[in-house]
Amino acid sequence: MAIFEKSSAENLLAATATPVPVEGAIALPAAGPFDISGSRTLAYILLLPLFFLLTGLLLRFLAFRTAMPDADLTQYFDELCRWDCSWYVKMAETGYDRFPVPGRINAGNWAFFPSFPMLVGGVHALLPFPTIVTASLVSLVTTYAAVLAAWPLLGRDRFAYALYAAFMLSGPVSFYFTSFFTEPLYVLMTTLVFAQLARSRYLSAGVAAAILSATRIVGVFASLAIGLQALLDYRRNAGTWRGAIPALLGNPQLVLALFIAPLGLFAYMAFLYFWMGDALAFSHVQRAWARTIANPLTYLWQGFGNRPDAGWAPSSSQILAMAAASGLVLTGVLAWRRQWPAALFCLLAILIPLAAGLASMLRFMTALTPLTITLMTLLARRRWLFWLSLAAILLGAYTTTLAWFGGNVALV
Amino acid sequence: MRWSDNPWAIPLYGLAAALALGELAVVWLMLNPNVPPDYRAYYIDKTTTCLAQPVTAAYTLGTSIDFRSGGPDTRELLPCGWEGPTGDGMHALGESARLAFAVPTENLTLTLELTGVTLPGPRQQAVMVSANGINLGKAMVTPGKTSRFTFPLPARAIANGRADILLDLPDAVTTSPGQSNVRKRSIKLVMASLTPATTAGAR
Repeated sequence: MAIFEKSSAENLLAATATPVPVEGAIALPAAGPFDISGSRTLAYILLLPLFFLLTGLLLRFLAFRTAMPDADLTQYFDELCRWDCSWYVKMAETGYDRFPVPGRINAGNWAFFPSFPMLVGGVHALLPFPTIVTASLVSLVTTYAAVLAAWPLLGRDRFAYALYAAFMLSGPVSFYFTSFFTEPLYVLMTTLVFAQLARSRYLSAGVAAAILSATRIVGVFASLAIGLQALLDYRRNAGTWRGAIPALLGNPQLVLALFIAPLGLFAYMAFLYFWMGDALAFSHVQRAWARTIANPLTYLWQGFGNRPDAGWAPSSSQILAMAAASGLVLTGVLAWRRQWPAALFCLLAILIPLAAGLASMLRFMTALTPLTITLMTLLARRRWLFWLSLAAILLGAYTTTLAWFGGNVALV
Repeated sequence: MRWSDNPWAIPLYGLAAALALGELAVVWLMLNPNVPPDYRAYYIDKTTTCLAQPVTAAYTLGTSIDFRSGGPDTRELLPCGWEGPTGDGMHALGESARLAFAVPTENLTLTLELTGVTLPGPRQQAVMVSANGINLGKAMVTPGKTSRFTFPLPARAIANGRADILLDLPDAVTTSPGQSNVRKRSIKLVMASLTPATTAGAR
């Protein structure tokens, strides 16, 4: 059974082998979920994602050869790099645009958050490879690390872990996690936030959240998840809500964590102000992409109603609407399991982008770690369902990558 | 354990307070942007859909410019508000569009060939033409029909050797509910020219 399947108290019991010391009314587990007993388990945790990393490379490469039989082999990484990926490559090479944008367009690259392009840019300075090859290597390593970090959140369930590793590294949308998007770092940091929160380690969760908030704007909502987890921990230990606020303010680590968590966003805003005079440039520039804020449910409704011109296959809008609706359903599952901090984080990380339209909702949903982990734990419950899901995931890596090469806008 | 019993409490609170002050300062910066007027108008106040980009406006007086695909590269004449070219011209995008021509400071005649878009909306598209804040006239463009319009361009409407032409498009229409006004559609520009006033074409 996975962490996201249990209540907070069960999480702690699963995550700790020794009694829980209490400091300032906040539970601090003594032993962690990363404690691994047995070399066979360790080998499984380390080698299984490596296996799927290789099968993923193979399956995506097969799709590349099928889609572009005459293309040079060295074009593989370039051809996988589409849509926003091209923006990130340019960012890693030349940094942020000034105003007016040198390309004489309204769409400045301020919309894209800095942490992952900075990481790739830093590694690129050390390696002799082209930017996209370096970025793909960094993405593979980051996603591999994210899968390892998810082991405790998957409740040490080998079957759920296998599905999750396959999905991330060898799954239908694994190109998001293995080319150049911010998703690898976003997934890794989200995983670390919730793995640390499962142990009520607010400060380390806050540091991961700070990087998360510099990776994508919705990452800043991890701050709320930390605050909520602290409240729930207090309630569990004290048995009442009374005195919660003074007790939480009396925990200096928690107070510091709450101010560290949004630091990535604030640092980026400060940079934008000194770079071009507008701390909210990342938001204001959305106008260039014709984004308008509206009721998220209206966008969902319009998406479902946007039928294909011909044939039975759903339209791109319908696929995106289904992705968003599935995300909301899985968020409901998290809430039903009383995983309130994860549910709150996911709800906001769905509704905020959905208020600007359906664009990229499939990518956003597949990078919401609490949701994908919850889904994998559900699919791992029955053996027949596990094998069926694994086969679908691996087959999907080939077919969806073909659709990616074909320019399917639902995948943007 | 009380917080005062924790030897790290004061440094941790101190660091939290420093971060809080820093974040408060960023909020102040957020509320007080320091940007050029055109940036503010397009991105923040949203009072225009046309963010003028730097162009050379290089143009030979008297030349008729074909804005359809296959014509010359017209990028340097189009500061903002256009999409294309396509086979039927350069499509205006948003609620206004701009043209720029480097010309001598003398009385000129501006000629525009415009086609109205065939989308559900008004029977005709009004185009209010001005240059450097001086009103030049109004064209009524019919959907699906290409018409030629001429406007007198007085020398006082030319500043710094440039005629900056603004086309206001008050009847521009959105193509789907809730769509941003930067995607509004109205007219297509087929041809434009500036000629000395004495050789003006037919109105």
